[in-house]
Amino acid sequence: MWGFYIEQLIHSLPFFLKGLWMTIAVSGLSLLAGTVIGFIWGIVRASRSRFAKPLIGAWVDVIRGTPFLVQIFIIFFLFPEIGIQLEAFPAAVIALTNLAACFICEIVAAGILSVPLGQKEAATSTGLNWFQQLRYVIMPQSMRVVLPPLVGQYVLLIKDSSVVSAIGVSDVTRVGWLTVQRIPQGLLVFGLVAVLYFVICYPLIQLSNRLEKRMSVGYTRGKE
Amino acid sequence: MLETFNFRVILEYMPLFLSCFFATLWLSGAGLIGSFVMGIIACGMRIGRFKLLSRIAYVYIESIRSTPLLVQLFFFYFGLPSLGLRMSEASTGILALTLNSGAYMAEIIRAGVQSIPHGQVEAAVSSGLNYFQRMRCVILPQAIGVTLPPMLGQAIVLVKDSALLSLISLPELTRAGQIMTSERFMPAEGFLTSAVFYLVIYYFLKWLTHWSQRRLIYMQT
Amino acid sequence: MIEFKDVHKWFGELHVLKGINLKVESAEVLVVCGPSGSGKSTLIRCINRLERIQKGELIIDTMKVHDSKANMTKLRAEIGFVFQQFNLYPHMTALQNVTLAPMKVRKTPKKEAEDQGRYVLEKVGLADKLHQFPAQLSGGQQQRVAIARGLCMRPKIMLFDEPTSALDPEMINEVLEVMRNLAREGMTMIVVTHEMGFAREVSHRVAFMDFGELIEIAPPGEFFAHPKSERTKLFLSKILTH
Repeated sequence: MWGFYIEQLIHSLPFFLKGLWMTIAVSGLSLLAGTVIGFIWGIVRASRSRFAKPLIGAWVDVIRGTPFLVQIFIIFFLFPEIGIQLEAFPAAVIALTNLAACFICEIVAAGILSVPLGQKEAATSTGLNWFQQLRYVIMPQSMRVVLPPLVGQYVLLIKDSSVVSAIGVSDVTRVGWLTVQRIPQGLLVFGLVAVLYFVICYPLIQLSNRLEKRMSVGYTRGKE
Repeated sequence: MLETFNFRVILEYMPLFLSCFFATLWLSGAGLIGSFVMGIIACGMRIGRFKLLSRIAYVYIESIRSTPLLVQLFFFYFGLPSLGLRMSEASTGILALTLNSGAYMAEIIRAGVQSIPHGQVEAAVSSGLNYFQRMRCVILPQAIGVTLPPMLGQAIVLVKDSALLSLISLPELTRAGQIMTSERFMPAEGFLTSAVFYLVIYYFLKWLTHWSQRRLIYMQT
Repeated sequence: MIEFKDVHKWFGELHVLKGINLKVESAEVLVVCGPSGSGKSTLIRCINRLERIQKGELIIDTMKVHDSKANMTKLRAEIGFVFQQFNLYPHMTALQNVTLAPMKVRKTPKKEAEDQGRYVLEKVGLADKLHQFPAQLSGGQQQRVAIARGLCMRPKIMLFDEPTSALDPEMINEVLEVMRNLAREGMTMIVVTHEMGFAREVSHRVAFMDFGELIEIAPPGEFFAHPKSERTKLFLSKILTH
């Protein structure tokens, strides 16, 4: 009997791969846009601006304090109420981009603030303007502190993307959910889904760990 | 849109929201306790002396970390019945939360215990304290101080994760929003109210984190 | 009181103690000096078995430390150890730091332990800091608490592993003063240190170690004025010209 189910599962493989592609598409777009927006917000958060900084801070706090599922429901159901017709896929990308931007914003801000103040002072003393300081002195140094958690955050966001299945986006989780209605073998079906996520996420986690080790070389103290 | 925001309906549904609020609290709480216990066991296996146990714990932790909670939840919800295990939705939900969060707890505890400078152990050993005395008086109190903030962070994550339990029809805060959407076609009122309740829990946990950090400030060596 | 008989120790491939033969008498103050990596820290860490020896015998007051069956709890209760990095318990006050071992190891009742604790903390000059946490104390004060912690067990031997090396210069003296008083009272002490002034004034003998070997050992007068080995002379010339 198990053999029968496995056979059915293998027949469904193309659907799973399509779902996997959808997961990659949603995650990829959101991570890309989220990174760009996140960096901009992060730079603002690390600055001394009086309006944008607390505003972004409040927004980020709200996003971090509420479940992603609720956020995606709000976006999906809210936009039509204010007149914008939204399909599942764009709603998902918007919600995930926002989530990504908020978490990446905090990582980037922390990274920038970790660069010793003396660096900024040295750069100012040589006459570099604000933008040049950021581009040539601050950001390159903050990357050391930003990169490992950034990759870690990407993994978290790829996992969070599974939630978009709740509004009908045909990602690999939703394919699993649909398949299990036909093939009532939850262990096999979601075992397969899990393996597919694992294949993407585990290497990224290893990358993040390796980055963390590489980035701390040369900055560890001598004897301890 | 604000003119059409129906506060009266929210008040009408308040009993539902309140009961779902408490459901969220107790589901998250059960998950927190379960995952704490799970975390100690897994961490003990991971940093213990037996290679086999360490490897099992490693596989457990890495599998959890590389797969989404929703998939794990569906795995148990749809999978356990086929093994003959009929569990209530609540039990399945708490099981998934416990196993998921337990892996992260294990890593938090591990980081905490390993961050205690070896000199502390040496000082305790030099005074003649035995293993249990060392653990109880020197290592564990310091480990708790170090791990408390990340554990509170994990508590925040658990509360947000509990929202996924609405997808297996468990009555909790997100489900309350879904019910309001399906019964009254008012998703904005429904989910925004849910969001507000979640934020209440979030800000409380954040305050708790700051308060505990101020209490433990003498721990800064 | 303490006897090393042909003691050897390896860290993996590295031979850190090469055939140490040493006898330390009761009430003797021995200073051990030498360059980094000479094994001097390892030497005293073997005494309370923070490190284990692989060859030879190490006997303390008739107890054989090298024997696996030795009662280390009993032995460690008789030995006080002061670390370079203090290693005070940050989550406990000075008094609690000092009374933990007496209460748990010697099973001293709390009231008695606190009285003893107050006494030793007074002795090291910190009577007013009983209820302060290590983070509220200066380095010199922390190290003095660490010494009090060792003393509260009423040990027969006090071991010091570079006690002043992690201190700012202005705090070194307050710690050395405490150690001087201890020596005057007849405590058996082995001190690994670079403080040659202390060695000259207080010690009964000075030992020089290099590359795991005990090169030379002599009373301070002889040691500083007429070092016998070339390596000792080289070390002294480097360390005494600053």
